[in-house]
Amino acid sequence: MVELLFEDIFTLIRIDPDGKKFDKVSRIEAQSEQFDMYMQLDVNSEIYPLQVGEKFAMVLAPTLNLDGTPDTGFYTQGQRKSLADKFEYVMHGKLYKLSEEGSGINVKVEIYASFGGLLMMLKGDPSNAAKFELDQRLFLLMRKV
Amino acid sequence: MCDMAVAQDQLQFTKEPFIEDVGPHRIKSIQFSTFSGSEIRKSAEVQVWKSGYYDSTRKPIENALLDPHMGPANKGGTCATCHGNFTTCPGHFGYLNLALPVFNVGYTNLIVDILKSICKSCARILLRENDRVEFLKKMRNPKLEVLQKSALAKDIATKKCKPTACSRCRYVNGMVKKVGMSIMHDRSKIVDGTSEECSSAISHKKESKASVNNVHVLNPVRVLALFKRMVDEDCELLYLNERPEKLIMTDIAVPPIPIRPSVFTDGGARSNENDITARLSTIIRANAILRQELENPDKSKCLADWELLQVEVAQYINSDVRGIPFNMQSSTPYRGFVQRLKGKQGRFRGNLSGKRVEYTGRTVISPDPNLKITEVAIPILMAQVLTYPERVSHHNIEKLKQCVRNGPQKYPGANFIRYPDGSLRHLRYSSRKRAADELKYGYIVERHLEDGDVVLFNRQPSLHRMSIMSHRARVMPWRTLRFNESVCNPYNADFDGDEMNLHVPQTQEARTEALMLMGVENNLCTPKNGEILVASTQDFLTSSFLITRKDTFYDRAAFSLLCSYMGDGMDHIDLPTPTIIKPIELWTGKQLFSVLVRPNAQMRVFLNFTVLEKNYSKSSETMCPNDGFVYFRNSELLSGQLGKATLGNGNKDGLFSVLLRDYNTHAAATCMNRLAKLSARWIGNHGFSIGIDDVQPGYLLNKQKKARIDEGYDACDELIQSFNKGNLKLQPGCDAAQTLEAEITGVLNKIRETTAKVCMEELHWRNSPLIMSQCGSKGSPINISQMIACVGQQSVGGRRAPNGFIDRSLPHFPRKSKMPAAKGFVANSFYTGLTATEFFFHTMGGREGLVDTAVKTADTGYMSRRLIKALEDLSIHYDDTVRSASGGVVQFLYGDDGMDPAKMEGKSGVPLNLERLYLKVKATCPARAQASLSPSEVFKIVEEKLARHDAASAGGCSDAFKKSLLDFMCTKMKAFRHTKSALQLDEEYIGNANPNILVKVAANISGITSQQLQVFLDICTSRYDSKRIEAGMAIGAVGAQSIGEPGTQMTLKTFHFAGVASMNVTLGVPRIKEIINGAKKISTPIITAILECHSDVKSARIVKGCVEKTTLGEVAKSMKIVMTSRQASIVITLDMEGIHALHLKISAYSVKQSILQHSKIKSMMKHHSIEVLDDRKLRILPSDSDKRKLQFELHTLRATLPNVIVKGIPTVERAVINKEGKKYNLLVEGTDMRAVMGTPGVDGCQTKSNNIIEVKETLGIEAARKCIISEIQYTMASHGMSIDIRHMMLLADLMTYKGEVLGITRFGIQKMKESVLMLASFEKTADHLFNASFNGRDDKIEGVSECIIMGIPMQIGTGILKVKQSVKQELKLNYGLDPIIS
Repeated sequence: MVELLFEDIFTLIRIDPDGKKFDKVSRIEAQSEQFDMYMQLDVNSEIYPLQVGEKFAMVLAPTLNLDGTPDTGFYTQGQRKSLADKFEYVMHGKLYKLSEEGSGINVKVEIYASFGGLLMMLKGDPSNAAKFELDQRLFLLMRKV
Repeated sequence: MCDMAVAQDQLQFTKEPFIEDVGPHRIKSIQFSTFSGSEIRKSAEVQVWKSGYYDSTRKPIENALLDPHMGPANKGGTCATCHGNFTTCPGHFGYLNLALPVFNVGYTNLIVDILKSICKSCARILLRENDRVEFLKKMRNPKLEVLQKSALAKDIATKKCKPTACSRCRYVNGMVKKVGMSIMHDRSKIVDGTSEECSSAISHKKESKASVNNVHVLNPVRVLALFKRMVDEDCELLYLNERPEKLIMTDIAVPPIPIRPSVFTDGGARSNENDITARLSTIIRANAILRQELENPDKSKCLADWELLQVEVAQYINSDVRGIPFNMQSSTPYRGFVQRLKGKQGRFRGNLSGKRVEYTGRTVISPDPNLKITEVAIPILMAQVLTYPERVSHHNIEKLKQCVRNGPQKYPGANFIRYPDGSLRHLRYSSRKRAADELKYGYIVERHLEDGDVVLFNRQPSLHRMSIMSHRARVMPWRTLRFNESVCNPYNADFDGDEMNLHVPQTQEARTEALMLMGVENNLCTPKNGEILVASTQDFLTSSFLITRKDTFYDRAAFSLLCSYMGDGMDHIDLPTPTIIKPIELWTGKQLFSVLVRPNAQMRVFLNFTVLEKNYSKSSETMCPNDGFVYFRNSELLSGQLGKATLGNGNKDGLFSVLLRDYNTHAAATCMNRLAKLSARWIGNHGFSIGIDDVQPGYLLNKQKKARIDEGYDACDELIQSFNKGNLKLQPGCDAAQTLEAEITGVLNKIRETTAKVCMEELHWRNSPLIMSQCGSKGSPINISQMIACVGQQSVGGRRAPNGFIDRSLPHFPRKSKMPAAKGFVANSFYTGLTATEFFFHTMGGREGLVDTAVKTADTGYMSRRLIKALEDLSIHYDDTVRSASGGVVQFLYGDDGMDPAKMEGKSGVPLNLERLYLKVKATCPARAQASLSPSEVFKIVEEKLARHDAASAGGCSDAFKKSLLDFMCTKMKAFRHTKSALQLDEEYIGNANPNILVKVAANISGITSQQLQVFLDICTSRYDSKRIEAGMAIGAVGAQSIGEPGTQMTLKTFHFAGVASMNVTLGVPRIKEIINGAKKISTPIITAILECHSDVKSARIVKGCVEKTTLGEVAKSMKIVMTSRQASIVITLDMEGIHALHLKISAYSVKQSILQHSKIKSMMKHHSIEVLDDRKLRILPSDSDKRKLQFELHTLRATLPNVIVKGIPTVERAVINKEGKKYNLLVEGTDMRAVMGTPGVDGCQTKSNNIIEVKETLGIEAARKCIISEIQYTMASHGMSIDIRHMMLLADLMTYKGEVLGITRFGIQKMKESVLMLASFEKTADHLFNASFNGRDDKIEGVSECIIMGIPMQIGTGILKVKQSVKQELKLNYGLDPIIS
């Protein structure tokens, strides 16, 4: 079974906090319910439009293979069953930076990933960052709930 | 004039032994000397005395100017001396005997100098015997350099030898001076009774009423007689190498005919003679007349004829000679010898220093992005003319046979075959087939250029070394030279009709050297500051910018197509995983760039860097909402829209720079090739154009613009009103009008800026000008704003439009109007159109720009030339010193660290960009499971490594580098500690839930493992070592170019406010010129005085009062002339309130002292006395010597008194208090740094001045050096130009290494260099040559100029090394006994 790196349900708070800069891409801000994580994410709004207040499930996984074998990076032909089947929007990218914010009790860890230029910033409790490594390949899967 | 000392040592043997040919002999030195008449006669082949050139049969007349003994006059003739023909005969001298000696004009001044210092009676030097011996001893000092020697000789001749009675023969000498062409000996002012005696003797005669003239003409005969009697020791004192009589011409050496060819014109009817020949013929005529007159018993006309001969001979040597009598000036100016040599077109600069060459081409250029950056496309037509001599060998014989068969007309052909016996065969006229069949190994075929040949490519003006680079040829159809646009920058080329030159190196050695040293790939970076110069431009930037936009997505087909654009379909490309997998597969443009940098997994290129683009929002790093933070990690573009900062030229940490530094030049070059191909093809499909709708403002923009302009106008009106009322708040150091101007200018400039900002915000992102300005390919926000919104304020000479009419700029406006519109503010945009007045103002501003560029090019060109001449021979030697050609040390360690400026990675010339390296190491060597090091462990490892490196490598690292490395690690460890403490991990670890997780997180955030640290330190040290400058580098020339080239780019901005308004400092080219010239008087001298108490304005004001000059008129309440019946006096009352308010320490007593010290009054004060009445009153009493003059005197005094300086430094114009941050300092306009430093309250240790000469005089030569460096740096920096400090150090060192500040002018260079040829090829050609032969100078051919002139390889660059080979046969030792039977 594939081991997920992170899984939670988010509520969309805002779209394009700094104003709309790009036609097809919007930056969304969302807050998770279970781990109380804050997220900023660039989403292709043309093919996956989102509205403020919508709830969606978001999963970060190291591979799409259901058996948990690592991702080869090659295109697999044919319609094999994968983790993506259950989701509506799937992106692939790379974790490039971890940093901390604040100190003491309020310390938060920021996880940065880039999906071919579409960026994600996940902020939350340090314990949630344990499974993440620098330069890790990530799949981001989203599904509206 | 000069004879060559050829190094030749030949012994005479009865039987010639075998001597290996050592190749052509090398000229070791040139000795300059003078030629006497007998020497001329001896070396001549024939006497010339007949006039005329040819006889009736068109044969040269014997003993005339074209006598065949001097060489054949034209193609038909043969030489009567060497029997050579027109091409082989080198020519031979003739001689022309003069009836009477004449002066050689070149030596006139020198002859006068000699005459001044010798007795005109006994011809001995006018020195006392003991002085003479002493000076002779000094002169004979073998350690004396040439320059010191000539200075001493000049000192003796001009100062020590006074025109007085000769100490030996008691003859009283008068003044010697030059009058016209003749030399006069003026004894009229001497009172020794001779003149009285003479006049009394003459007065007895009836006819002479005229006064006796005791001025004698020293004619050449008399001078010659004097010179002949001179003692050798006296000659030595005057630094005369040879006998002085050689300075006077008794014979003329008639030059060989080949240097003055005779040409038949009009079908052979007339001959056209060279200027030299023509002049010689007039000399022969004048000489003949004079000779005839001399034989005539009546010698009355003799003197006039002699003078005529003198004038002709003078003009023969120098046709511009001054002092020719008016009636003898000829209407047809012939070129004399001096004219042949001097000037840009003269022999020295036109033929010896720069030569015309073969194998060159020139045509129009055009772009071709499909070419590699190292290639240049050559038209077939050109390739058929430019050839390369290729030697036939086993490998190329088939190819060359085909070339020979094709001949000159068909493209891959050949023009000539060169046979081993030296003969040449042209392939146009001979049977090519046979020639091809007969082709043998060792023949040389001059074949057409083919793909891959090395050529040199150049565009004028060649301002730096990248203006000529070597490319690989690519022969192509059509008529233009083509190259990749990425290489436009180094050549500064565009394609609006520019032409460029092409040279083909003809030997294998030349090709190799060209490729290694001048190849494009080896010149990607400029040695000016190490920034990349060959980089993407214009369209490439635009398309990259558009491709990497966050919302460009491509499906599989489109993405694959774009990937195929990058190469020629030959490369293997690994398609990355799409960014969006579901609902449909989509790739982003950024992924395309990841592919571009690293197309496949076999390619081991891992790029790691971050760049801030223009549109970066100054916060939140990668998450920047404008996507302005470029982050490449392991060759993947993670964020950021690429623009000029990443891809363009002029940066040190862009994509290509990083590729170049971390990998090699080839990696950078291929990446540029790929980008050029991709973007050219992409933008061809995408389309990019500009139209009228791009410059039409929208409703919102119009509204905003109107609001801004109205705001600005209102602000201006307010200012004007308050000015009229007189309650304008003054700026420091300005009066009301200046303040008003400054404020209005500020307001109006702000309008343009804000409208530009509005434009950038309001325009749609697809607006083409906006895209171009954002990505940095062309244009600025101001340009866009000018097209769409508002053109803005026009300035002329840095001010608003001046008044062309009385009190107004144009008659359309009311008088004295200060309104924005009346002073050149253009509120319209280019789109809306300018009104008539606006248009006029705009042309005024435009004209200034045009004039400025036209004037500036000449200025900077001359500056570059001077810099090059002064610095050309400086090079690095193997001991890391910088030396001149003669071996004089200029710097002991180049740039204080021996680093190559072209290889510097960090900002401001530090060798490495540690931050980036650290990022790279951390990204390329993943930590995996290894634990992070603690800070103390880190420091231990770093110090160990540095110590080991110091021991292992030769020089070790410089202290500055070590410190920067340690500092860097310190900041990194601080960050690590901070992370740890934030995660509550440190010592005060309080049993967190799962510490291991947190440790791991901390390591991920900012830890470093021992392996990473090891790799980091290894890279740092090894890369540091590779950045050392190489021996032989012509660092002088590079430095000169690095300073000269930016000069051409300096824009109009010649003035600049030094912190305070109205405190202008000269900038730009004029300032650079001042610094480099070592000008004594600079246009804006400013002393920056740091105050001892810099936090208090009050104390600053007190110091200001002490520095600034205060005149009596300013502090006096009244100055009255008081007349009573008894006496008259002037009473001065001081305005004590004002004095106290200004914190001036002035009292009546100090005023009295000041008055007494005033130079004008000082002389008058003999008769006056000053009485101090009380603290604030003085009375000046004139002496009652002359009552009639009293009134007059009092009034003069009254008029001068207000100008008496009672306080402050007289040379200071004014002082302004300046606030810098929170500190106050004093800017003092004027000179006298010593006085400012000595003023109480000023911190003398930190006081600076921008006047280099003054700094040298007050603080010494080292301070002057520092001042030169900082001043050049400041000037360059204020024009936004960064130049490596090492270049400026070198320049400053050169200017100061002789112990005084030498300007880079003809006077300074004269004191730096010794070589006559170098100085002659610079300026004042003839003077240097004549002086050299007078002094008998010996020019060792060492420097660059001399070597070029003599055609000898120079000792710089690859010429620094020579192969020394022992040719001796090794002695064979036989071990054991000799064999019995051999």
